[in-house]
Amino acid sequence: MMEAALFQTAAALYAAGTGLGFLFLYSRDERLSRWMYNLLAAGVVLHLASLGVRLRDFWAIPENRWYMPINSFFGALSAMTLAITATFVVVEGRHRLGILGAFVLPWACVAAVGAVLRLHAVGGTEIHGLAPALQSWWMNIHPLVIMAAYAVFGNAFGVGLALLVQERQLRSKRPQELCYRLPSIEELDSLNYRLIAVGFPVLTVGIIMGGIWAHAAWGRFWGWDAKETWSLITALVYAVFLHQRLVAGWRGRKAVYTSMLGFACAVFTFVGVNYLSRLHGYLSTP
Amino acid sequence: MELLLAGLNHKSGIPSQVRDRLAATGGPEFLRRMREGGWEEAVALSTCNRLELYAAVEDAEAAGASLGALSRLVESAAGVSLGDMLYTRSGRDAARHLFAVASGLDSLVTGENEILGQVKTAYETAFTAGTTGKLTNIIFQRAIFVGRQIRSDTGISSGQLSVASVAAALAERIFGTLTESSLLILGAGPMAETAARHLLTAKPAKLVIANRTHQRGVELAASLGAEAARWEDFPALLETVDVVLASTGAPEPVLTRAMVEAALPARMGRSLFLIDIAMPRDVADDAGELDHVYLYTLADLQGIVDENMTRRLGELAAAEALVDAKADEFAAWMAAVRAGEQASLRHHPGRSLRRGEVLPSPERTKTEQTPDTGTKGGRS
Repeated sequence: MMEAALFQTAAALYAAGTGLGFLFLYSRDERLSRWMYNLLAAGVVLHLASLGVRLRDFWAIPENRWYMPINSFFGALSAMTLAITATFVVVEGRHRLGILGAFVLPWACVAAVGAVLRLHAVGGTEIHGLAPALQSWWMNIHPLVIMAAYAVFGNAFGVGLALLVQERQLRSKRPQELCYRLPSIEELDSLNYRLIAVGFPVLTVGIIMGGIWAHAAWGRFWGWDAKETWSLITALVYAVFLHQRLVAGWRGRKAVYTSMLGFACAVFTFVGVNYLSRLHGYLSTP
Repeated sequence: MELLLAGLNHKSGIPSQVRDRLAATGGPEFLRRMREGGWEEAVALSTCNRLELYAAVEDAEAAGASLGALSRLVESAAGVSLGDMLYTRSGRDAARHLFAVASGLDSLVTGENEILGQVKTAYETAFTAGTTGKLTNIIFQRAIFVGRQIRSDTGISSGQLSVASVAAALAERIFGTLTESSLLILGAGPMAETAARHLLTAKPAKLVIANRTHQRGVELAASLGAEAARWEDFPALLETVDVVLASTGAPEPVLTRAMVEAALPARMGRSLFLIDIAMPRDVADDAGELDHVYLYTLADLQGIVDENMTRRLGELAAAEALVDAKADEFAAWMAAVRAGEQASLRHHPGRSLRRGEVLPSPERTKTEQTPDTGTKGGRS
């Protein structure tokens, strides 16, 4: 219960921070941006505390010792939320791009709301013993690496959204205040590219790790399980993005659409596949 | 202690024959003579649109007579009778006036930034000449601070008011900074030159001028420290430059969609900003429909200028209210100091005070006499 309370408070702080991010779109008051970061940081602290509680409860089940508590839908969504907000605070915070909060943070909120809904649907934080196949050190690496990649893609998606808005502004010939607040076309384009250039190799390594783990656990490297297939599709879409950008000069709108397709695939791999995959389904775990 | 002001500005009217004489008034020598004339503190704000003398007298009861003397000083500086053109203020009204001036509310172009620099210079000149004191130090440092705050808290100075500066601002919305961009100017006429000079302030990596009459292009390039290119070479340059500004006298578009299209593959998706300030148009309209190409015409840019002006005027009421609040705050502070209370504006309630803002009390000013202390806590 402690974990649920901490997590929901953190989620509320994220939501409030996101709200300030939206207000900052329409006001030049720097305090909004500062408080957005403050609320996010407070949210991250509470979120980490909730994870601490989760680790303690998870530890209480003997077979779970030394493993990450992300073998459930709630656990995974909670970790996902943290990854997106933390990436935002680190990347956009360092570049002083508070204005991007309104474009990136909603996705953290979606993950957080998903976790809260799940929490109430199953009436708890879903702490249960690890299936024998999951009792492996890979449990601590493979899902986290993949989630880190997704979080980076989520940030790239928000940046891409901002790029589309900025392009529209400039094409309208009557740019509004927002145009002067958003980063420039080339800055957004380059940030989108750099995020994906980081996320893609991380995802690829994560998938390969999954293969190695699958080989150890199930005796085969690749089995075209729905999760495996869709993660491959996700990686391929981002590979197309990187290739076309570097070779054919795909930038701006076309590049953003490709990266957005990639993110849609990532979201489907993370959430939708639960309904398709027996082996990777958070929903099918007892 | 009382603050006094006498002056004239573009609104009250300035006789054209005295404009030059006014602009030359207000040097250290003039200020020292004011001091000898009985004013304990003196600062002169003199620009081509105004001459204002600010003075402080110790004895508030003698302020009325002193104000008359200050008016006569302005008249003698002008050398002619000014009559109704002259205005005088004292106390809170003088402070309010200075705050409004520093904020650009009293300027010919509402919200312009130059005046803030001129207020600062006027203060620094007086400070160096040794004619500032308790009151003028505080009021001028305060005015500079208020001028900055009003510009950042309201839209009074937002948006550019010239075609060239709007174009430069848009270029920054596309490229972030122009320091790594090359710029191409088509044409070498006066309009091209003005725009080129403006774009050069953004410190582009390279500026190239292509003119049909090569010699004129070379001459303009030399005077701007730019490069000149042959007219027939400019389509090839489209592969490498980021901004093209077209201002030729050609009757037909000189930059066609086909030219831009041919250059796009080599650009690898990097944006291209086309600015067409020529009448009739220099850039074919359909060139702006291409991906990664942004085309702004003179009419587009002028439309933004007009919009910006309207927006500034719409912010006037908010800015005036803020100036009023600041003047009230200052008057309350003055009253407290006069009553002998240990007062500091820092503790004064009100939304406009920010963290880190420190206004020295008169006692502290003696030891902290640096012209810049009042500007701390301004826009970050």
